[in-house]
Amino acid sequence: MRSNKLTVTVGVILVAIFFLLLFTFQVRQTEVVVVTTFDKPTRFVQEPGLGIKWPYPIQKLYHFDKRIQNFEDDFEETYTSDNFNLLAMVYVGWTIKDPQQFFNSFPAGTPEAAQPALKGLIRSSKNAVMGQHTFADFISTDPKQLKFVQIEKEILDDIRAQALQKYGINVEFLGIKKLGLPESVTQKVFDRMTAERQREVEKLKAQGDGEAIRIKSAADRDRDTLLADADAKATAIRGQADAEAAKSFEVFKDHPELAVLLLKLNSLETTLKDRSTLILDERTPPFDLLRGVNSTNR
Amino acid sequence: MERNSRKIGVVNLLTLVAAGALSIALGRFANSLAGQVASIFFGLGALISLVSLIQMGLEERERLEKLEFDELTRDKASASLFNQAEAEAFPARRAREQFDRWVLPIFTGLLVAGEIAIVIFAWKWLRETTVVAPNQPLVGLALFGVTALILFVLGKYSSNLARLDGQRLVRPSASFLVLGAYLSMLTALCIGLVLGGQARADWWLARVFVGVIALMGIEGVASLIFEIYRPRVRGKQTRLVYESRVIGLLGQPESIFTTAATALDYQFGFKVSETWFYQFLEKALAWLVLVQLGVLFVSTMVVFIEPGEQGLIERWGRPRAEHILNPGAHLKLPWPAEKVYRFHTDQVQTFTVGMVPEEGAHEPVILWTVKHAKEEFNLLVASRDQSATQSTNRGGVPADLLSVSIPVQYQIKNINSFAYKHVNAGKLLEQLATREVVRYLVGVDIFNIMSSGRKAASAELQQLIQTRADEQDLGVKVLYVGLQDIHPPTKAAPAFEAVVAARQEIESKLRAAEGYAARTVTIAAADAQKRINAAQSYKVKKVSAAAAQAGQFTNQLSAYTASPEVFLQRAYLMALSRGATNARKFIMMSTNASESIQIDLQDKVRTDLGEIAIPKPK
Repeated sequence: MRSNKLTVTVGVILVAIFFLLLFTFQVRQTEVVVVTTFDKPTRFVQEPGLGIKWPYPIQKLYHFDKRIQNFEDDFEETYTSDNFNLLAMVYVGWTIKDPQQFFNSFPAGTPEAAQPALKGLIRSSKNAVMGQHTFADFISTDPKQLKFVQIEKEILDDIRAQALQKYGINVEFLGIKKLGLPESVTQKVFDRMTAERQREVEKLKAQGDGEAIRIKSAADRDRDTLLADADAKATAIRGQADAEAAKSFEVFKDHPELAVLLLKLNSLETTLKDRSTLILDERTPPFDLLRGVNSTNR
Repeated sequence: MERNSRKIGVVNLLTLVAAGALSIALGRFANSLAGQVASIFFGLGALISLVSLIQMGLEERERLEKLEFDELTRDKASASLFNQAEAEAFPARRAREQFDRWVLPIFTGLLVAGEIAIVIFAWKWLRETTVVAPNQPLVGLALFGVTALILFVLGKYSSNLARLDGQRLVRPSASFLVLGAYLSMLTALCIGLVLGGQARADWWLARVFVGVIALMGIEGVASLIFEIYRPRVRGKQTRLVYESRVIGLLGQPESIFTTAATALDYQFGFKVSETWFYQFLEKALAWLVLVQLGVLFVSTMVVFIEPGEQGLIERWGRPRAEHILNPGAHLKLPWPAEKVYRFHTDQVQTFTVGMVPEEGAHEPVILWTVKHAKEEFNLLVASRDQSATQSTNRGGVPADLLSVSIPVQYQIKNINSFAYKHVNAGKLLEQLATREVVRYLVGVDIFNIMSSGRKAASAELQQLIQTRADEQDLGVKVLYVGLQDIHPPTKAAPAFEAVVAARQEIESKLRAAEGYAARTVTIAAADAQKRINAAQSYKVKKVSAAAAQAGQFTNQLSAYTASPEVFLQRAYLMALSRGATNARKFIMMSTNASESIQIDLQDKVRTDLGEIAIPKPK
C-alpha cells in the first residue's frame, strides 16, 4: 500500500512535469519566439514570460535572439579607384527587426543561418564602395584626405536598406576591423621600408662625416689663428726689444768712431772663432814682435 | 541447447555489425553526431560478441570431450588410456583454460586501451566539430527508430535466453543489443529535438555516448584489477572479464539490484546480498532516491553569488523587479520558474589587439627582430614620406606596416546592458577596439606613433574605445589601453635597428673629431704661448744686452779718453787673442816682395782610410 502511494506520487509528479514541458514555453528577455501551428507561423511572442502552446508536433517553437548579433566578414582583397590592391575586413552588428520576415528567410532561425546571406550583401557593398575611393581615402596623415568614417557609412547605408527589405534584419552598425595588403605587396613594402631606412643610414653617415670634417677643420683653423696671433705678438715684442735696445745705443753718439771700432773688433773676434785661417805677415801686431827675431836669426 | 546459443551468438554478432555499419552511414548522411558515435559502440559490441562466440565454441568442444570421456570410463579395458598426462587426455579443456588464462585478459586489456583511445579521440573531435543542420532528418529519424526496434526485440530475446543455465555467453552481446536499441532510439529522438529547434541537442547526446564508452573503459580497468584479487573457488564458474556490467545495467535498469548483488557476491565470495544492510538498501532505495531528488529540487531555491560576481534573475524568462543579485545568498523560486545568470563583474578582463599572444610564453628579452607572439598582424600605418612621394606619382604604396600589441582591460559596469543588449558584448568590444586602433593608425605617421606620440596615443585610444563602447551601450568600463609593443614588422626591423646603429657610429665619429679638435686647439694655444714667451725672452735679453753694451761703452770711452793709443791696441789685441786662438794662422816672415809663396790650405786626407775593413753583409 505504501509502495503504491509512492508510485502514484512519483507518477503524478512526473506526469505534471511532462505536461508542463509539453504545454508551456518560456520566452526570455533576450528572445523573440515564433510559434508555428502545423509549420505555419501563427504567433510572434516578443514579450518575456511564460507562454502556452499545443504540444509538438502540432505547434513548434523557434527561439530567435533579439539582441545585437555581431560577426565579421572575410579579410578580402579589393581594388581602390587609384589601382591599389587592399585587403579589408568589416564587422557588423545586426538585430532581427521583422521576426516574420526573418523566419521566412531563415527557417533554421540561427544567426549562423543568416550570416551567409548577410555576408554576401556586405561583400558586394564593401567592394563597390571601396572601388570608388582612392588609397589615400583609407590611409593618410592628412585628416582632410582621410575618409575612413565616410567609407564605413557608405557601406552601411548601402546594405542597411537591402538587409531590412530582404531579410527583416536591421544592420545597427558597421566598422572596418582590418586593413591590409596582399602578401606579395607586403613583401615589397618591407623591401621599401628597408631601403628607406638604408637611405636614412647613408644620410646619417654622410651628415656625421660632414660634421666630423667641420669640427676638425674648425680646430685646424683655430690652431692656425692662435699661432698666427702668437707670431704677430712675438714679432711686436721683438720690435719693442730692438727699439728699447736702440735707446741704450744713444751713448755711442759720444764717440761714434770708437763705437764703430769696438763693434768691428767684436765682430772680428766672433768671426775668427770658427774654422778661420789667418795669413799674416810679420808687421801685423802682435806678430810684429817676431820681426826683430827674424833679422837676428838671419 | 548449446548449438542454439551459438546460432543466437552469430545472429547477434551479425546484427551488431550491421547496426554499426548502418549507424555510421546514416550518421554521416543525416549529419547526426550521436549516430556516428553510436556506431563506435556497436563496433565494440561486435568485437565482444566475436570473442564470446569463440569462447562458446571452446566450451562446446570441452563439453563434447567430457561426454566422450564419460563414455570411455565405462569401458574398463581402455582405462590405461587415462594414465596419460591430463593435458594430452583433455586437449579441449586445456585449450579453453589457456584461452581463459591468456586470451581473455589480453583481449580485455586491449579493449580497455581501445576504449580510452576512442574516448580521447571522440571528445576532441566533438569539441572541434561544427554543428550542422540535419540532412533529410525524417529519413534519419525513421531508420534509427526501425533499428532501435529490431535491436530491442532481438536484444530482449537474447537477454531472456541468457538467463537460462549454460547460456551466460549470450549475455554480453544481448546487453549490447538492448543498450544499442536505447541509443538508436535516443538518436532518433534527438533528431526530432534538432528539428524542434534544439540545434545542439545532437552534439550533447554524442557527448553522453562518449561518456558511456568512457564508463566502459573505467569499468574494464576496474574489472582487470579486481580479477587479480578475486578469491578463486574451485569448481565455481568464472565471470566473463570482458563483460561490462555497466552496459547490462544501462540496458536493463530494472536488474540493478540483481546485477549489484551478483557482482558483490562474486567479488567477496559470499552472499553479501543476504545481509541486513543490503536488504534495507534494496527496500528503501526508491525513497532515498526520491528524497535526494526532492533535496536537489529544493536546493534550486537558493542561489549563492560569489564575491566579484553579479547575477541576473529571471522569472519565466522575464527579469524580476529587482533582478540584479549582488554577492551573498538569495532565495528564489525553484527551477525552471526562476533562473539565475552569473557574470564576473569585478573581474578585470583582457584581450589583445594586433597580436595573438603565446599562451604561457615568457620571453626574457623581447626584440623587434624576433617574433614574440603566436600570431602577429601587420597593421597599415600612414607614412608622411611615402605620401609626399605619392604626390609625385611614382606609384609606391603610400603606407608602412607596423606590428602592434595593444592589451585592453575592461570591467563590466552595467550588467543589464552587457547581458541584454548584445549577444556577445565582449567580442563586440574587441571588434570596436580593433577598429579604433586601425582607424587611429591609418591617420598617424609611423615615426610619430613609435616615439613621441606613443603616450598620447594610448590615452586617446582609451578615450576613443570608451566612447564607442558607450555609443553601443556595452555596459563596460575600459580601464587600460597599453601600447606596450609597437614596432616595425620582424622582416623590416633589422633596417630600423641599422639606423640606430648608424647614429651610434656617427656619434662615435663626432666624438673622435671633437677629440681631435680639443687636442689641436689646446696644443696650438700652448705653441702660441711658447712663441710669445720666446719673443719676450728675446726682448729681455736684447734690452739687457744693449744696456750692458751701453754701460760697457761708457767705461771704454773713459779708458780711451785716458789713453787712446793704448786702449785701441789693447782692444785690438784682446779681440785677436780671444777670436783667433783656435784659427789656423800662417805668418809670413819674408821681406822679399817679389817672392811668390804657395800655401796649400786643403785639408789632408788620412792615408789609412783605405785600410778600413768593410763588414760582411748579414
